[in-house]
Amino acid sequence: MINEVVQDEVPATGTVRRPRGRAIVVTSGKGGVGKTTTTANIGTALAVLGNTVVMVDADVGLRNLDIVLGLEARVRHHVLDVLEGKSTIEDALVSDKRVPKLRLLAAAQTREKDDVDTAAFRDLIGSLRDRFDFVLIDCPAGIEKGFVNAIAGADEAIVVCTPEVSAVRDADRVVGLLGDDRTVQLIVNRLRPALVRKGKMLSVEDVNDILHLPLLGVIAEAPDVIVSTNRGQPVALDPASEVGEAYRTIARRITGQDTAAPEIPREKTLFGKLFGGRS
Amino acid sequence: MSARRIVFTSGKGGVGKTTTTANVGAALAKSGKRVVLVDADIGLRNLDLVLGVEKRIVFDLVEVVEGRCQLRQALIKDKRLENLSILPAAQTRDKTAISEAQMAGVMEQLSALCDYVLIDCPAGIEHGFRNALAGASEAIVVTTPEVSAIRDADRVIGKLHERGMPVRLIINRIRPEMVRSGDMLAVDDVTEILAAELLGIVPDDEEVIDTTNKGEPVALVPDSRLAAIYAKIARRLEGELVPFTVLSAPSFLERLFRKAG
Repeated sequence: MINEVVQDEVPATGTVRRPRGRAIVVTSGKGGVGKTTTTANIGTALAVLGNTVVMVDADVGLRNLDIVLGLEARVRHHVLDVLEGKSTIEDALVSDKRVPKLRLLAAAQTREKDDVDTAAFRDLIGSLRDRFDFVLIDCPAGIEKGFVNAIAGADEAIVVCTPEVSAVRDADRVVGLLGDDRTVQLIVNRLRPALVRKGKMLSVEDVNDILHLPLLGVIAEAPDVIVSTNRGQPVALDPASEVGEAYRTIARRITGQDTAAPEIPREKTLFGKLFGGRS
Repeated sequence: MSARRIVFTSGKGGVGKTTTTANVGAALAKSGKRVVLVDADIGLRNLDLVLGVEKRIVFDLVEVVEGRCQLRQALIKDKRLENLSILPAAQTRDKTAISEAQMAGVMEQLSALCDYVLIDCPAGIEHGFRNALAGASEAIVVTTPEVSAIRDADRVIGKLHERGMPVRLIINRIRPEMVRSGDMLAVDDVTEILAAELLGIVPDDEEVIDTTNKGEPVALVPDSRLAAIYAKIARRLEGELVPFTVLSAPSFLERLFRKAG
């Protein structure tokens, strides 16, 4: 029965003529700015909108996307198994527990990034584009082989950056390495409006004065993200969460359903905190 | 006398390796030790920013390796402490520009000049990670109380053990109120999973964001809560038995008071 669902929702190569899916790499240069969380939430939100989505963890050796999605116990095969012919793509795809059109292709945990052949990885992304509307690639930190592999098959990139000098500097370097052939958009993550007001944090404008990228979205720092990550439940599925709504808006902007300029989170007043609820 | 050579590593990025390297280094220097901080993150350097010396860089680690300058020419003295220096990474090169043997050679040379060489490792476990380890004889693993950071730290500790390197742990960005509400792992949970000796516990504090942006290590800010914590870490590194600060969540009144003050 599960197989039928897969057949129905995720057509195998050649069975249905459809436009190729979009391959989007989520990258940053600096680690810990929220690439994996962003990938998980945008992927989830795109699937909830009705798109078929596969998320590919390109962080061979330090995978985490499976944890953020709460799927770590269900991973049987990984990217390298597929590349080395030990598993078919179908067998390696892990179905999400909650969202029917969402799949994960996990990274190998006990292997090295140097084990992945860049051309073969690019081809794998290509064949996933034949089957899914969206292929989201979670890039490892840094700009070494793992980065080169992760961006190889992507024709679009989302650069995730926190409002910190070091993250902006690393993001700027990554934008240069992504080249001119890809569409590159920016998500400013973990903004704290109260700190921006006090002059203790860069504003979205400050960040984009340096990066000059089309702004895809701004996500405020919120404790519910830490909680949802530890529990393996993307916050994009929480209808009451503001951050979840921000991710859902980003997904609609990616599909073209939402064309308004991204909203910048504002500081909450004490009154709003006490009486505003979570709306 | 040869310096102790300690690599700061984590696997996962963004857990605070660079901030920790800078602050532990600053705390050691404040206590009178001669310290050199080495940025091993070639291509994505940031240690210079955290110390506020980015405009003073003339030469870098790769140029030292390639013999384009003397080691001493590439060292930048800290603005505040004269016994603290930094060897910056190259920004426009990549990590394969130097080999493990070359890195080990430079660390060997450095250790004749100071008491501590602290090496800031790049995120990940690729070539840059292996380089950063090459010249080190001990390791400090920095982690945060998050499942993904701990998983990565566990993987890195495995790699450090393979090399027979002593490992100690700094748990960074603890939020006591989240631990209490069961939304964050406690220190005991983390040390149990990772089975490594605990060197320090550092709470999450907005002050770090501000001081990092200003290029001033929080360890050098007088009367700062975090400066006291880094000073204790420095004393533990020196072999002193220093009790751990019990981190409790501030009460509502304390929070109001702190905001007002």
